[in-house]
Amino acid sequence: MSIEDIKNKSKEDLIDYLIKFEDEIKELYLSGKIRSPVHFCKGNEEHLIDIFRNVKEGDWIFSTHRSHYHALLRGIGREWLKQEIMENKSIHINNEKYNFFTSAIVAGALPIAVGVAEGIKLENSKEHVWIFVGDMAAETGIFHECVKYARKQNLPITFVVEDNGLSVNTPTQESWGKEDSGENVIRYKYERVYPHHGCGQWVTF
Amino acid sequence: MTYKDEVIKAMELLARDKRVLFLGQSVAFPGSVVFGTLGTIDNSKKIELPIMEEAQAGMAIGLSLKGYVPVSIYPRMDFMWRAADQLVNHLDKIDEMSDGKFKPKVIIRTLVGSKTPFYPGLQHCSDYTDVFKLLFKNIDVVKLEKKEDIVPAYENALKSSKSTILIEISDLYNSE
Repeated sequence: MSIEDIKNKSKEDLIDYLIKFEDEIKELYLSGKIRSPVHFCKGNEEHLIDIFRNVKEGDWIFSTHRSHYHALLRGIGREWLKQEIMENKSIHINNEKYNFFTSAIVAGALPIAVGVAEGIKLENSKEHVWIFVGDMAAETGIFHECVKYARKQNLPITFVVEDNGLSVNTPTQESWGKEDSGENVIRYKYERVYPHHGCGQWVTF
Repeated sequence: MTYKDEVIKAMELLARDKRVLFLGQSVAFPGSVVFGTLGTIDNSKKIELPIMEEAQAGMAIGLSLKGYVPVSIYPRMDFMWRAADQLVNHLDKIDEMSDGKFKPKVIIRTLVGSKTPFYPGLQHCSDYTDVFKLLFKNIDVVKLEKKEDIVPAYENALKSSKSTILIEISDLYNSE
């Protein structure tokens, strides 16, 4: 199946397609036939379907441990995906034919996605990178580094934050603190007189 | 020929491969001994990065997935711990966790900071070669203790299907 085949389906049909797959995996999981973690996606259909309308053939998808919907919407075949899950690879769904990469380390795929985007820019090709992260990943330092670098370097990448408010069961915003954290930062500018170290003159030992 | 001359020769050898890119801090701007070893390399092959060691390691993996051979440079081995997450959890494991579908190949170049005649402090001259050899399953770790080993080691890293960490010794840079 191609991404175009997916796009030709109606939103209602796609929701049905995703949920039926999820229900089938759930049955297998409950019957004890899958012996590794499975992260279900239910409730996240509509936004993803809208976002994947903009994904083109050849684009790169970077996903997480919760990747089943991303894979299906990228056009990866449901039977192949099901087989991978049955082989206990749910958190490591990778398919190079679809430029589909996942990492189960929170925020782990971010800089890899940025590197691919850098490569696309260097070769001036038309591919685009889509990276999906959760709300806790979006609070990490490396998320901000990657977003800032990609924006300033005008890289062909879109960061998508799927915010369900929870990281495992930790309320993301409560654990980070809801109040504005800007007041405890003082920032000023100055011009340095000397180089990074030393004083600009050679010393002989 | 000094140790440094051999490093320069090795960098020139790498640069002749059109897939190779050099990335890190002080690759295009002066700031560390690294800059002096890349002086003959065209700037179009260099990506000067901000200090973001982990992101740099991840970007190198991403570039390799796009067909480049990134030479990711950390001017002091101490700084590599900040990149360790990407190296341990991704570069060392992606081949295995993707059933060989993705095979990133990165050349990592780092230096054990010099201790003489100028002592740079505890956080700037550590040698973690032995620890790295234990840490990685699928990344080769090579310490460059003799100048005659430098060019062949980089040549091997370029030809290898695996990623390689090459460790230079700053205190030997001026030795004949």
